[in-house]
Amino acid sequence: MLETLSDLLYGFSVAITPINLLYCLVGVVTGTIIGALPGLGPSAGLAVLLPITFGIEPVSGIIMLAGIYYGAMYGGSITSILINTPGDSAAVMTALDGYPLTQKGRAGAAMGMAAFSSFIGGTVAIVAFTFLAPVLASAALSFGPPEYFALMVLGLTTLAGMTGDNPTKGFISAILGLFLAIVGLDLVTGLPRFSFGMMELYSGIDFIPVAMGVFGIAEIILASEEKVNMEGLKNTDLRWRKLFPTAADWARSKWVIARGTVLGFFIGMLPGAGATIASFISYGMAKKASKHPEEFGLGAIEGVAAPECANNAASVGAFVPLLTLGVPGSASTAILMGALMMFGLRPGPMLFERNPDFVWGLIASMYVGNVMLILMVLLFVPLFVRALLVPKAALNAVVIAFILVGAYSLNNSMFDVYLTIGFGFIGYFMKKLKYPGAPLVLALVLGQLLETSMRQSLILSGGSFGIFFARPISTVLMVIAFGAIFLPAIKNMISKLRAKNASV
Amino acid sequence: MKIKKILALVLAIMLMTSLVVGCSSTPKEEAPKEAPKEAPKEAPKPAYPERAIEMVVPFGAGGGSDIMARSMVKVVNDNKWVSQPINVVNKPGGSGSIGYAYTAEKAGNPYYLASVSSSFYTAPLLGNSPVSYKDFTPVAGLAMDTLALFVREDSEITSVKDVIEKSKATPKSISVGGTSGTSDDAVMYRVLQNKAGIEMKYVPFESGGEVMTALLGGHVDVVWANPGEALNQVEAGKARAIVVASNERIPGFEDVPTLMEEGVDASLAQFRGVVLPKGVSPEEVKYWEDVFRKLHESSAWQEDYIKANSITPRFLGSEDFGKAIVELSDMYEAIFKDIGATK
Repeated sequence: MLETLSDLLYGFSVAITPINLLYCLVGVVTGTIIGALPGLGPSAGLAVLLPITFGIEPVSGIIMLAGIYYGAMYGGSITSILINTPGDSAAVMTALDGYPLTQKGRAGAAMGMAAFSSFIGGTVAIVAFTFLAPVLASAALSFGPPEYFALMVLGLTTLAGMTGDNPTKGFISAILGLFLAIVGLDLVTGLPRFSFGMMELYSGIDFIPVAMGVFGIAEIILASEEKVNMEGLKNTDLRWRKLFPTAADWARSKWVIARGTVLGFFIGMLPGAGATIASFISYGMAKKASKHPEEFGLGAIEGVAAPECANNAASVGAFVPLLTLGVPGSASTAILMGALMMFGLRPGPMLFERNPDFVWGLIASMYVGNVMLILMVLLFVPLFVRALLVPKAALNAVVIAFILVGAYSLNNSMFDVYLTIGFGFIGYFMKKLKYPGAPLVLALVLGQLLETSMRQSLILSGGSFGIFFARPISTVLMVIAFGAIFLPAIKNMISKLRAKNASV
Repeated sequence: MKIKKILALVLAIMLMTSLVVGCSSTPKEEAPKEAPKEAPKEAPKPAYPERAIEMVVPFGAGGGSDIMARSMVKVVNDNKWVSQPINVVNKPGGSGSIGYAYTAEKAGNPYYLASVSSSFYTAPLLGNSPVSYKDFTPVAGLAMDTLALFVREDSEITSVKDVIEKSKATPKSISVGGTSGTSDDAVMYRVLQNKAGIEMKYVPFESGGEVMTALLGGHVDVVWANPGEALNQVEAGKARAIVVASNERIPGFEDVPTLMEEGVDASLAQFRGVVLPKGVSPEEVKYWEDVFRKLHESSAWQEDYIKANSITPRFLGSEDFGKAIVELSDMYEAIFKDIGATK
């Protein structure tokens, strides 16, 4: 403990040199902007900005790159809340309640809550990282295919929270998402499925074009045809003081944030899961645990707090396996790992011993970066909110441009641009016919891991489904998942029975 | 209206960033494509690289090919061996076929280089790619990257013989983690099964990182991985190599026997290198051959890439690399025929 503190102090001595502060600032500002731009996610941003860091000190370079990564988690919420277009995939959930809040004239409160909850999620996760990283890393290792499968099943139960007023349509949308998750090379046999001979589909349908299309483009087409109700906006009070969450907001959100942070941090540590899935599950849990679940989707402030704290905590959690085990947990951390290797450092168990200045400098810089982020975001909240006053026609044109450029940057390919536009039209018709978009995206994200982990488990067990209940973690997760599915029904039955008894 | 001005500024900055990020990797296409065909003309033409060069990596950022390409480009750019900048562009998807098809389309255009790794040979053989080595001009071979079989430090398995004995005693008792499809590790898994006459379980994962996590967590028993990928785990005493698939023992793993030494008649090593599209002039090939020879001889490359990743350096010029490509392609074809993977 004391040793850790002295290491951390040493880290701060590295992180707060003026040059490293500058790199940290550049990183978090760039990250926020990249996060806010629809379509441009942290991994695309990192890949492009990587070469810039080659000329500079490794520790400065990684401080900047890390800043881009967690900064993007803050930025993603901005466009989600203001224009219903998630800035990156981890911010999809934020749009569900963030945008209705904007329509109600509470954009400032939503953005303030997103910023604070991001800050809390991020900072608590860094503290946990500082003191517990090695222990946690070995805990993350105990997650094998059966545990992933159970986690994905649990994730899918949160679907029920997003189906809106017509569950049938919600589930149809989810099944479409699960189907889309199947497209691409089969992991086990290596054969293409539903790719219609198109090479671009071999690696499957990425959910970013789908999310950008269904949420971003569809929204804009709709906005262009009907007079969107902007009454709320006109009434938006733009005074700085009025832009922050109220005490009532905090009261509703505090436990949501606490749970989301812990959850996000743990899911972030698991390779392959990451910030997006963390935000989904956190949102679903918040709704399940809420006293007034019916308000979710219509502008519940905790619907903004839940995904935001989780995705920030997850982005920090992702550094645990990267730095302590040398295995990247996500596309973004894979790029960071590549960067480390190019700096001549080898991420892994020996990194803490061999390059303490580097590791502790990075950890300390994350504390600094989070403080910078919250100050910056809060300072600019009034400014961002004013983007709503820009004429819709101009704003939408700009947003479409961002989305398409972002889609291109995913794989440097026009195919993703067409895919985004295609899903824009699908999303438009879904909206017209009142099919909710969130289950589609959620099922697509979870579906890939769900199938992979199930088939891996069954290969390991030789085809027996018992493997999902043979190990403690997966058993617990499965039980929780089944509970989430059947408890409401049982409760319903009991209350009906009681009502019957009472009337008799 | 002050606010409007600020807002306009912010929007302008955002748009710029987006354009920079989205387009920085796309060099202008304006250079005439027919230029190389008339190259032998004696008119005083400007020195060859007249504009930025694109180094196509057919895989995502952070993977083995990406690290090689970026390390390479870093040394070349640092030393200013090429008068124009080289930009690394990732074109992932379809087991590398998208990136290779993209480069092959640029026939005759000497501003596109592509990195070569095992998919360059295997994807066309398995019918997963519309282009093959015949659509490219070999430039230089740089390094041999082999595979080693890793187990967790506390595993009871200490040699490939253990793997074989255990599998013979109880078929399908040993699980092998890998990255699936046409990857080298999947090929080695099947080769070992065939040569040793055993049956194991192959558990595919999405990336090398996930495979390593599964090994360390004890979810799979053994994995084939590039030595460089697992070096950090070996040094930390979390994993150990029990056999290497190369013909000779490799630096950094001197105590680890080869498959041949262990009595399994098989070997595999991918030849990493660089190609240009076909139809480029001999002068242009020569130009890059010289650049990569300088790279191979530089200490920066040897230290930061070769040694750090436990790779065996081996330089071949255009002609020899071309022969090596054909040999390797034939070798993979023979393996695939052997294990019944080709159509």
